[in-house]
Amino acid sequence: MGALRLPSLALLFSPSKALRSSSASRPLRLRPPVIRKVSASLSGGASRALSTQSLANEEATPPSAADRKPSSGPEGSVTPRSVDFNAWYLDVIASAELADYGPVRGTMVIRPYGYAIWESIQEYLNSKFKETGHSNMYFPQFIPYSFIEKEASHVEGFSPELALVTIGGGKELEEKLVVRPTSETIVNHMFTQWIQSYRDLPLMINQWANVTRWEMRTKPFVRTLEFLWQEGHTAHATLEEAEKEALQMIDVYRKFAYEQAAIPVIAGRKSRAETFAGATQTYTIEAMMGDRKALQAGTSHNLGQNFSRAFGTQFTDENGQRQHVWQTSWAVSTRFIGGIIMTHGDDAGLMLPPRIAPIQVIIVPIWKTADERTEVLNAAASLERTLRAAGIKVKVDDSEQRTPGWKFNFWEMKGVPLRIEVGPRDIGNRSVVVCRRDIPGKPGKDFGISMEPSKLESHVKSRLEDIQASLLQRAISFRDGNIVDVNSYEELKAVIGQGKWARGPWSAGDNEELKVKEETGATIRCFPFEQPLGKKTCFMTGNPADEVAIFAKSY
Amino acid sequence: MATSNTDTSNARKKEVKKETRLGLTYKKDKDFGEWYSEVCVAGEMIEYYDISGCYILRPWTMAIWETLQAFFDAEIKKMNVKNVYFPLFVTENVLQKEKDHIEGFAPEVAWVTKSGQSEMEIPIAIRPTSETVMYPYYSKWIRGHRDLPLKLNQWCNVVRWEFSHPTPFIRSREFLWQEGHTAFATQDEADQEVLEILELYRRIYEEFLAIPVIKGKKSELEKFAGGFYTTSVEAFIPNTGRGIQGATSHCLGQNFAKMFEINFENEKGEKAMVWQNSWAYSTRTIGVMVMVHGDDKGLVLPPKVASVQVIVIPVPYKDADTQAIFDACRSTVDTLCKAGFRAEVDLRDNYSPGWKYSHWEMKGVPLRIEIGPKDLANKQVRVVCRDNGAKMDIPMHSLVEQVKEILSNIQESLFNAAKQKREACVKVINTWDEFIAALNNKKLILAPWCDEEDVEKDVKARTKGEHGAAKTLCTPFDQPRLPEGTLCFASGKPAKKWTYWGRSY
Repeated sequence: MGALRLPSLALLFSPSKALRSSSASRPLRLRPPVIRKVSASLSGGASRALSTQSLANEEATPPSAADRKPSSGPEGSVTPRSVDFNAWYLDVIASAELADYGPVRGTMVIRPYGYAIWESIQEYLNSKFKETGHSNMYFPQFIPYSFIEKEASHVEGFSPELALVTIGGGKELEEKLVVRPTSETIVNHMFTQWIQSYRDLPLMINQWANVTRWEMRTKPFVRTLEFLWQEGHTAHATLEEAEKEALQMIDVYRKFAYEQAAIPVIAGRKSRAETFAGATQTYTIEAMMGDRKALQAGTSHNLGQNFSRAFGTQFTDENGQRQHVWQTSWAVSTRFIGGIIMTHGDDAGLMLPPRIAPIQVIIVPIWKTADERTEVLNAAASLERTLRAAGIKVKVDDSEQRTPGWKFNFWEMKGVPLRIEVGPRDIGNRSVVVCRRDIPGKPGKDFGISMEPSKLESHVKSRLEDIQASLLQRAISFRDGNIVDVNSYEELKAVIGQGKWARGPWSAGDNEELKVKEETGATIRCFPFEQPLGKKTCFMTGNPADEVAIFAKSY
Repeated sequence: MATSNTDTSNARKKEVKKETRLGLTYKKDKDFGEWYSEVCVAGEMIEYYDISGCYILRPWTMAIWETLQAFFDAEIKKMNVKNVYFPLFVTENVLQKEKDHIEGFAPEVAWVTKSGQSEMEIPIAIRPTSETVMYPYYSKWIRGHRDLPLKLNQWCNVVRWEFSHPTPFIRSREFLWQEGHTAFATQDEADQEVLEILELYRRIYEEFLAIPVIKGKKSELEKFAGGFYTTSVEAFIPNTGRGIQGATSHCLGQNFAKMFEINFENEKGEKAMVWQNSWAYSTRTIGVMVMVHGDDKGLVLPPKVASVQVIVIPVPYKDADTQAIFDACRSTVDTLCKAGFRAEVDLRDNYSPGWKYSHWEMKGVPLRIEIGPKDLANKQVRVVCRDNGAKMDIPMHSLVEQVKEILSNIQESLFNAAKQKREACVKVINTWDEFIAALNNKKLILAPWCDEEDVEKDVKARTKGEHGAAKTLCTPFDQPRLPEGTLCFASGKPAKKWTYWGRSY
């Protein structure tokens, strides 16, 4: 039973919850699934009462319970968001089958439903990267330790988090190898060989890969030891081109967030203290989560000549002079999925923007008798064909052992944007009921929508667009209602104390920034690109200020 | 002074050499190994790296990988396989759960022993394959027959720290692959899926990479460690006379289900064990393509996977209207791209047309279009095929139709040529002496065999030498007739089947 020696996963993912669990004396959920025999024997009906706390406890999630407990609803599957945001987040991930804990603490298994969200992120970004002239390639996962050491601030920033391979094929390795935390160093090592003259520039590449950072405090999607991401790396002949590229890519991310994920991020520049280790400028998109904490959802760095000087990445310019190249790097990771969950989810569970949703429409057939069953299932299948042919991601839940009510709750919890109900009476009327996930109850239902293919298709498509727009609008209202302008440090403290974001003029130094962090827990999220007009005075020092900064507590 | 002069002139010479040195140093027929490494690098597929056995996959490679990925991913999604991602890191106890399995992989595992500055209490392994990472979750997720089949796949990197001679794509310490892992209620379903996947692998090789492969079953000795039976597609490299395993589709039987307690309640309410498969293909596919089609001028890419199918090169003679030629080149590319081809133009002014021809031949672009003053005047273009050097002039007005036809001909003729070469290497033998002679002649040997593990071991021992031992490649599904009384070439016992033998990668 070596597995028992593993540190408890939930403790690391969520300290507050671990305390509650241990007081409830249920070690069950703290264990990885390798010890299923134990968990199976412990998981009886008694676990139901505690099910709201369970991420690893499969008993509480409707799908795995399917064989044993035909019942009317996925009772107690998700802690209401309004009760405990963190517990809700973990429950949603477990119940909606987005992810499971990995065998090593702080790692995660991304399940099909979660991975499909990643694929829709990939599909959009990958085509944008290609449109903007980037090629995909793949760099090795192992980096010689000596590479990492070449750029001083880079190694300082990353060294506490590096995973090191020292044994391979049963032998001690001559040089320890770093499992890539990011690829700037190896990229530069190769750029140095590929770039000779100005004709080789700009060099613009991207890779989709896994990276590793040995973090102590982890949380599924938001911060895991290993995560998936894309990392773009470019080299340019001039600073201006590099700056333009860095800004272009943060704008690609911003558009993605707004248009696809319906997350109204604030794009801006990081403070010096928050700038990437080795960059001269870091641009960021910051998202406000449902608990009003900030999530850094994507970054784009102007690396200046820091790495090219460290690695001697030079080119011969048009005048025959040797110059160091100017570089950028930019990344979005599976963390973004955490952002989607925490932006749109509600007490009932996940709520997915239609453009990101792996399933956009769930069809729930309703029947009582065997005759009705055949008729209703045929109708459901024909609706499915119609919608699929129209390019809509649709699924029929025709399982027999669940009631329609249970299915309604289940697919709501999974965040599917639209539900179509079809019963015997609807078939008589040649119509269906279409229900929106984002508007509960009657107001969100459209009755008597014609089954006629072209009518149904256009109704569903326009509803999906409505939902997409309304999720964004709702998130914008929430964001704007929770950003408060401040003009003194006292005001900032009060605003941060209420859990909101504070926006105020800032020209103070790193020390004052550190003071704010230590005293309030808030950091500068960014100097937003969109700045208010007018003269500004730094709320901390009283000196003139060029810009406002946004302060918030963050993930 | 003198020294610095020499330095500059050396540097200049080096610079010039760099620009003009386009041919390969090695010949495919003479020094195959060196030729292969050189063509991978010169064709800009791969870059070597400070860590032996790790390679950088450049855009030219990734575009091919992405084409294969797009095909395979769409096909398995039709089969209702879902993509997932399991962690890279495995704990020792999980890794060692399946004994036979781990014996096969343990010597090749890379271990993380430090995080930051501190030593880890328990070292953590990097996945060499994911059976042991995934199956504890299968045990957790599968409860009843309604949870079956469970069909998952992941696209990821894996690490096998081998010490035998590393070769780009073919044997590297880190590589990219897909690994599918499925669980079924019955053996029938599992058996059927094994073959469906194997057919997709055949299509990757034959339809996309234009490489003929043999579908068959692996011997007991060669099957996947811990599995029930293994099927594979096998390719052959005539130059070295070696077989190469192209991709594998395994039926794992119930062995892993037993170890990982992957049980379910069947329709009668009884507890039963699942039947499992796993299947994978990797970036090795691309190495096989380079080996089979490449020639002394460089890579030869099949049109279906080439990231550039047509390269357009302006040929501006002295006093010609360069601008008009450039415009014609651009509009040719536009026309082709709009028609769905992957076409590019090389307008660089610091390279001669001749240099560009060699450059794009080295990179293996299937079709070259040259446009000069005469072509402009005659409203035509000159096309040159990479595979056989054939040249022809085609009128601008029928450009799209003709390019389409030529590319599809190239795809077909690459396959046919490869198939002919392979067929010429197949040697049917009946006796040990014939076997040894064929082996020494780099043949792909088809021999009657008694199908006994000890006999295969014995053949391995008897053929051990500097080129490596001979072994079974596969028993082809497509079996020639085995006349009554045929004896095994190695043991003299009654033969049970025809099996391919040879040295392999």
